[in-house]
Amino acid sequence: MLNYIAHRLLIMIPTLLAISFIVFVIIQLPPGDYLETYVAELESQGENVDPQKIAFLREQYGFDRPFLEQYATWVFGMLQGDFGYSFEYSLPVSDVVGDRLWLTVLVSFATIIFTWIISFPIGVYSATHQYGWGDYSLTFLGFIGLATPNFLLALVLLYVANVYFGTSVGGLMDEQFIDAPWTWAKFVSVLEHLWIPVIVIGTSGTAGMIRRLRANLLDELQKQYVVTARAKGLPSFRLLVKYPLRMSLNPFISDIGSLLPQVISGAAIVSVVLNLPTTGPMLLDALRSQDMYLAGSFLMFLASLTVVGVLVSDLLLAVLDPRIRFQGGSR
Amino acid sequence: MKLLAFVFALILIGGGGARALELQETPGLLDDIANGRLPPVSERVPLDPSIVDMVAEGKTVGRHGGTLRTLMGAAKDTRIITVYGYARLVVFNPALDLVPDLLEAVEIEDGRSFTLRLRRGHKWSDGHPFTSEDFRYYWEDVANDENVSPYGLTRALLVDGERPAVTFPDETTVIYTWSKPNPYFLPALAGASPTYIYRPAHYLKQFHGRYQDPDKLAAMVEEASKRNWASLHQRRARQYRNDNIALPTLQPWVLQTKPPSQRFIFDRNPYYHRVDSAGRQLPYIDRLIADIVGSSLVPLKTGAGETDLQARYLRFDNYTFLKEGEQRNDYKVRLWPQMIGAQLALFPNLNNNDPVWRAVLRDVRFRRALSLAINRYEINQVVYFGLALESNNTVLPRSPLFRPEYQKAWTAFDLDRANALLDEMGLTERDDDDIRLLPDGRPLFIVVETAGESTEQTDVLELIGDGWAKAGIKLFAKPSQREVFRKRIFAGETIVSIWSGLNNGIPSADMSPQELAPTSQQQLQWPKWGQFIETKGKAGEAPDMPKVKELANLLKAWENAVGIDKRSAIWHRMLKIHAEQQFTIGLINAVLQPVVVANRVHNVPVKGLWNWDPGARFGIFRPDTFWLDDVAAQSAEK
Repeated sequence: MLNYIAHRLLIMIPTLLAISFIVFVIIQLPPGDYLETYVAELESQGENVDPQKIAFLREQYGFDRPFLEQYATWVFGMLQGDFGYSFEYSLPVSDVVGDRLWLTVLVSFATIIFTWIISFPIGVYSATHQYGWGDYSLTFLGFIGLATPNFLLALVLLYVANVYFGTSVGGLMDEQFIDAPWTWAKFVSVLEHLWIPVIVIGTSGTAGMIRRLRANLLDELQKQYVVTARAKGLPSFRLLVKYPLRMSLNPFISDIGSLLPQVISGAAIVSVVLNLPTTGPMLLDALRSQDMYLAGSFLMFLASLTVVGVLVSDLLLAVLDPRIRFQGGSR
Repeated sequence: MKLLAFVFALILIGGGGARALELQETPGLLDDIANGRLPPVSERVPLDPSIVDMVAEGKTVGRHGGTLRTLMGAAKDTRIITVYGYARLVVFNPALDLVPDLLEAVEIEDGRSFTLRLRRGHKWSDGHPFTSEDFRYYWEDVANDENVSPYGLTRALLVDGERPAVTFPDETTVIYTWSKPNPYFLPALAGASPTYIYRPAHYLKQFHGRYQDPDKLAAMVEEASKRNWASLHQRRARQYRNDNIALPTLQPWVLQTKPPSQRFIFDRNPYYHRVDSAGRQLPYIDRLIADIVGSSLVPLKTGAGETDLQARYLRFDNYTFLKEGEQRNDYKVRLWPQMIGAQLALFPNLNNNDPVWRAVLRDVRFRRALSLAINRYEINQVVYFGLALESNNTVLPRSPLFRPEYQKAWTAFDLDRANALLDEMGLTERDDDDIRLLPDGRPLFIVVETAGESTEQTDVLELIGDGWAKAGIKLFAKPSQREVFRKRIFAGETIVSIWSGLNNGIPSADMSPQELAPTSQQQLQWPKWGQFIETKGKAGEAPDMPKVKELANLLKAWENAVGIDKRSAIWHRMLKIHAEQQFTIGLINAVLQPVVVANRVHNVPVKGLWNWDPGARFGIFRPDTFWLDDVAAQSAEK
């Protein structure tokens, strides 16, 4: 097992290096650079920019250097914990991202918990009452959740929340609390705003989760060990929880690898619509304005999360499911 | 507008018995004065403050206090507060005359020597005196320091490449002199994004290699992880960008929030140089708050009443939605015309690489025919509810240079005449679909390229295509992406492109007609000629059409002309050439900008104008005179 972990850890290094190179190439692929985008944006608003100043900035930002040199500077910087400089914000990348990360974590966590709380009982109910009225109507609801575009739902809820509950539009707290120290009032304000993104981001996930749980559970329920256990007279609820439900959890664990990055970036569009101070909109803006170090650092961060997530889920699976563990050992 | 009159005007302002005024203390600052953090108002305002006669400006005398909320789309929009604040050495007033603002007076000799007189006792927002030393620091240690400005002087300070002679006779006098007239100097100082010829020397010297101990400076550079001190200096000195809370300013409101943030707070500048006629120091409003939200969310939040003053990121098609929220959220939507020469204009690329197309596009009959085959009335009705003006890409009625023939030449929807012109050109052959053929037999397909950013452009092109089809021309719209769009035009690969027209649609004769002559690569109708003149012949191609050469010569003549009559004559000549030649085919202008003003905000004009330069958006109406009526009876009129 230790060997296995060490092997997996070592292989992460070339993987991440390769990703960093691809990321950097792709960010640089669109024509122009940050300054050209910047100038074009200012000009479209009627502002004009002094060419002398742009020439000065181009040199300061190192855009006049060859591509490989820019890449090397970035990678070596990252190894030393320096993620480079965000042109858009004129600040080091780490300063820009700082505050947003934990709000992202908060929203994501609340969303995951919401998803699980809703989808677990429904999934189990649907599977055990297959093709019943309850199954059909809950499935119907789930499909509606899956089919409604998130951003549309977000806009509708925003309007409703504003007109009927008087919550300010968008954001994660009332304006007066931004940058304010934490108080009870601020916490309440955050809770007031949190439910919209949680519901919006959660609904589509919930539907998917219900379907998967239902399908997995149905597979297991047909198996012979269930029949055996039932024949032996095990109470049906205890039976359900102890065997088939546990088995049907495997896919969730293996999902962790993709779940982590999805949670950070997946809700980007909703976050843009809802104006959440999370990392998604920032990544989107950075990519659009070719703010290459900010975008690059984000993508590297996501890549690392995926790589780590896959490792964690593999290890967890091995811990959870003896069959995987033993097969792994015999190899 | 009239620079001579302007000298007299400011002598009046300066001599108008400033001391007769009894200054009143600002209620919001009483605490700070009581515990000694601030001196009393008489020591804060300059000895000769700028006195604003509200009644003469059609405004009401206001009250101190309150917080004004507005919405911005990105953290770097903090610069827009610098634009709205609009404290400049000289400014344009709503009548578009240049008047002194931070300066007490400007004396101009032959249009080439400018004596700038500062206000005695004027102070930066940190209380340090604002003197000619700040101008000297800029000139000697910024503009002429090869570390800080390796790429030379900004264009407005050069006349045919000649540098000014700058002297600083005393604490309140600065003199810029060139050997030839420099008509660009004062407008640049009054720009929305102005040319700054002063820096807060007392603050910035600590970042300058000439004044700071090298070791200490190296440590600071290291700490800020900058390449060198010049980079650090540049980063700390951005007066326009307004993102350094330590940088002293002369603007009405001072940034208090260190970026990055989602909410930027600006507090009143206690040393601001303007007072109202009752002796109250401006600005009236104590605090501005700019919340950063996604720009797409701005209309929604505005409709929900979460801003007190908003126009940025609102578009005409938000109007009905915004109007719906008026009652519920206690605001009014006003419509201010935008002052660009054309909301949308077609740019035939006269530098097209294809010899056949180039010859066709350069034929004035072709461009006129294209213009005649456009039903502008229909565009106005369909896309703009009939509220915009059907016009060439030219000056607007508000400009003193306006003449109806510039607006209307070749804009009537007249298919017979368009077809006659095209027939006259010899484009009489047609293919099976009744599309005319080019001289070399290719069908006359015009691909109009767009930057792909708004459906407005593609909607309008759809309407134009209907008209052109009846003239035997097939239109294809090709959306791309902004950088690609520009590069293709610069390279001469585009036939026709669509973009907005003249940036300044309300010029006076004293403002430069440079947009009408080839001066820049950014001019989409002749990018290569513009580049040639912009780079002084190093890149691009020399103009070879007589009318374009004439425009270039007229611009030269304007630069050397002194006096309003000569300058007007040149302007009119250039505008006439443009209207006749249809180098750009303007479609529509004076499109309305929704401006949402909360009912508690006063002194925002009902009929304004929305323009960048001159105008500075709200700046020309001086937001320091805006006031709020719901401020808790802070004994303003004691």
